[in-house]
Amino acid sequence: MAAISLDAFLAEIDGLRSEASAALATAADEAAVEAARVEFLGARSGRLKAIQKMLGGLAVADKPAAGKHFNDAKGAITALLTAAQERLAGGHATAVEAIDVTLPGEPVRLGHLHPITQTIRRVQEIMGRLGFESVTGPEVEDQWHNFEALAIGTEHPARDPLDNFYLAVARGADPLLLRSQTSTVQIRVMEQRKPPLRIVSLGRVYRPDTADATHYPMFHQVEGLLVEPGTTMAHLKSVLRLFASSFLGGDVKVRFRPSFFPFTEPSVEVDMEWGGRWIEMGGAGMVDPAVLEAVGYDPDTVTGFAFGLGVERIAARRYGVADIRDFYRNDVRFLQQF
Amino acid sequence: MILSKTWLADYVHLDAPTEQMVERLLMAGLNHESTVAHGSDEAIEVEVTSNRPDWLGHIGVARELAVLFGRPLHVPDPQPEETGPAAAASIAIEIRSPEICPYYCGRVIRGVQIGPSPQWLVDRLATVGVATVNNVVDITNYVMLECGQPLHAFDLGQVRGGCIIVRRAEAGEPFTAINHKTYTLTDHMCVIADAERPVALAGVMGGADSEISESTTDILLESAQFAPLAVRAAARGLVLASGSSYRFERGPDPAAVDWASRRAAALVLELAGGSLAAGVVEAGALACAPATIDLRDHRAADVLGVDVPAGRQREILTSLGFVPEKAAAAGSSRWRAPTWRRDAWREIDLIEEIARIEGYDRVPEDQPIAARTVELSTRERAVRAVSEVLVAAGFCEAMTRSVVAEPLEAMESPWTDAPPLVCQPALIRGADRLRRTLLPSLLEARAGTLAVGAPHGELFEIAHAYLSRTAPPPADLRAGSPVEEPLLVSLVTAGEYLRAKGLTEAVLARLGIGAGHLPAGGEARVEYRALAIDLLAAGRAAEIVLHRRERQPVRVGVVGEIAATVLEAHSLIGPVAAVELRLDQLDFAVTAERRLVRPSDFPAVERDLNLVVDDQVPWAAIAAAIHAAAGPLVEQCRLMQVWQDAERLGVGKKSVVVSLRLRSDSGTLSGDEAARIVEAVVAECGRRVGAVLR
Repeated sequence: MAAISLDAFLAEIDGLRSEASAALATAADEAAVEAARVEFLGARSGRLKAIQKMLGGLAVADKPAAGKHFNDAKGAITALLTAAQERLAGGHATAVEAIDVTLPGEPVRLGHLHPITQTIRRVQEIMGRLGFESVTGPEVEDQWHNFEALAIGTEHPARDPLDNFYLAVARGADPLLLRSQTSTVQIRVMEQRKPPLRIVSLGRVYRPDTADATHYPMFHQVEGLLVEPGTTMAHLKSVLRLFASSFLGGDVKVRFRPSFFPFTEPSVEVDMEWGGRWIEMGGAGMVDPAVLEAVGYDPDTVTGFAFGLGVERIAARRYGVADIRDFYRNDVRFLQQF
Repeated sequence: MILSKTWLADYVHLDAPTEQMVERLLMAGLNHESTVAHGSDEAIEVEVTSNRPDWLGHIGVARELAVLFGRPLHVPDPQPEETGPAAAASIAIEIRSPEICPYYCGRVIRGVQIGPSPQWLVDRLATVGVATVNNVVDITNYVMLECGQPLHAFDLGQVRGGCIIVRRAEAGEPFTAINHKTYTLTDHMCVIADAERPVALAGVMGGADSEISESTTDILLESAQFAPLAVRAAARGLVLASGSSYRFERGPDPAAVDWASRRAAALVLELAGGSLAAGVVEAGALACAPATIDLRDHRAADVLGVDVPAGRQREILTSLGFVPEKAAAAGSSRWRAPTWRRDAWREIDLIEEIARIEGYDRVPEDQPIAARTVELSTRERAVRAVSEVLVAAGFCEAMTRSVVAEPLEAMESPWTDAPPLVCQPALIRGADRLRRTLLPSLLEARAGTLAVGAPHGELFEIAHAYLSRTAPPPADLRAGSPVEEPLLVSLVTAGEYLRAKGLTEAVLARLGIGAGHLPAGGEARVEYRALAIDLLAAGRAAEIVLHRRERQPVRVGVVGEIAATVLEAHSLIGPVAAVELRLDQLDFAVTAERRLVRPSDFPAVERDLNLVVDDQVPWAAIAAAIHAAAGPLVEQCRLMQVWQDAERLGVGKKSVVVSLRLRSDSGTLSGDEAARIVEAVVAECGRRVGAVLR
């Protein structure tokens, strides 16, 4: 058998090792790695196997050093192979199969809050920063809370059966009805608490209106109430201006026009300047002294203001909804846009 | 109300262009709708608030303009010449129901010539949208539009028995109006009758057989006061609203009753001839009691936040027709309200007048308010927590109607045995039942959105239901209501029972309520019990029962698959599952303080158990046995698989594969310790539910 010198053997191993290293480091895909594995580490005809066979031709005294060198090389090449396999599995962009990056992503379906809820929350948030606490109350109301305490007397047209949803049940002689405004909640809160008071009442209200693009017999109101000694219309206007600026963005102007509501005096319509035009936002006024007296407050020591916003109206304007009936169609194609 | 610009100019002369005029009126409370050219005139449509009937006549608006522009107001003072014999010889008037007609007066004109109105009158009526009839009828309309007091002219020749009787209608009494329709009256309405039959529906419309016709020669001119409620009952009850009823419902100026009568009589004499009988035939007493009001000088500033000097306050009130009287105290003034301002009777009403005329643009908008902190209510926090979970789970929030049609309320409610409350009128197209559950509405919404091709119908809603209380309602007006309004969160989803239950568990967990065995802070837990209810499929439904310390267990929810018949009724393809929870009974949990339980640093041990039990044994019983035996060392107890095989397991048996993850927070569990725990678990399962290890 042709003998081989130790030096030649070691050189052979080193050469193989650097070749394997280069091949594995540059392997761009799994096929290249596999080819390198077969070439260098293949069990039958791998080049390392071939070198191993040469061990037999070495002098006995050289065998321990040669063996160690061989084992080191084999370990190193195996480690390089593992590294190359891991590198490719790790998904380096340069190393994986290219993908059509314009393919659709795997869908993640998120739900959506109703735009009316989002509008109410926005109002609550802004008013909350101004110290107004959100409150709710019953939707089925009695005559006292829906009318009398709000200074709407028995002869007032607002009490007409055709203008309200009266229930077939009554409490004794007191007919019940679906509330026509959330001011009822303000009465309930004032009956239970003493000033100072800052609340926003919100919820569904009901008025017999034929449903069309701008009317629906069920809608949502947000009403603010502040009762504190020394409150004036200047506070009302200032709060509404802050609200409008926050809700609409920018420094929004607010305008009052005289109006009439039974439970406020003076009463005003509130216009806000939006896109260069005056937009009607809702009604407001100073709480009528009769209302303060009805809940046991002294109108000479405390004054207050109240304002109301129609949620559907402002949501419709904010989102470009032309027909408010869309808010109640519950079409997912509509709901998922908000 | 439509105003004629040239007509207004009869009473107040303005140089201002129309836009400026309507702008000033707008800022004084008379909302402008539109301005339309009408020949040489302009028709200005305004919206009059219900407190200002004085603006339902041209003179009233002219009076406002005179104040706003600082111009004099000219109102004619008609004094028609009486040339005939005493009117009382022609007609007697009796009021039998003074509560619905306090005052009634008549003037008699004989020998009139009925014919067309002159062009100026036709033009003015046309501008404000009133059709011309004949000179006498046109005059009554004209005077109403001038001063706001409605009038009626009878053909005196058709008034039988020489008398006018003002009384309540008899229930069921027929009446044929000028429009030649016959109405059946109720005793809430007021009629003008002669000796035999009604000749007019008071304040609303005249009768067909006493109307002014071409053959009329003698007329009775009515001017009266009618109670708003009686007029409204007739106008709305019979769907017969008129310009007259509109004004009587709001209360015209009492002083205009006589003025309008004189004005109309003078115009009839001028345009239709005839001779006016002497005197006025009257009945009742004119209801006219202008308020006397004290105004403290400082009060306007207290309310408005604007300093309006006392002198300026007085100037405004005087210009509006308030009459100063001797002040009651220093630093205040006393006022008598004008007859046409019955809405002004308190100090605050005067302050509003001052603000209106002074202009709200003077109110500052930079007044600071003191800072105050607010918290969301428990209810609101719960609502937000729940909607957060459901939105994350892919649900869209729906808003369905609170009042539904009968088919949606035909089924059992999870919350009451009492029938639904009914409202009148229906909210919309036959929907008159206040719902006792949201689920049928949500199913309808799901069917609706899927029918139009929406990508999914996963919907939830948070809203109230309305339940009759079974206990007798408290008598106190301000105490509790006979209606209970639980706040519900409901959802509908494609899927089976376990899908809906998983969603329920997520919602409850977010609220801080544990399921089954878990103590969840020791406060509350829920239990699922099989339930039979119309809406849900038999065997695939559960009620959710809340257990709280020291409280009776209470049903707080239902969960299950929708019954096939219900799916079919809604044209829905199953399986569809649903959940409804009483948020008002669950919201308390959201307030529980969150305290950290530090995750253990020691490794977990996983052990799988294959238990064979009778197939009637519920999972809850097995889980309870496992937790009882292993205690706090069970970090997780997962059901991996349930299978049945009569040959391998025996008839009526099932295999339940459970994966336990055990972990201690004080040290690493050894294999021996884990084995002891598993042994205890198996023993407890054997003892409680007869389980054997396979």
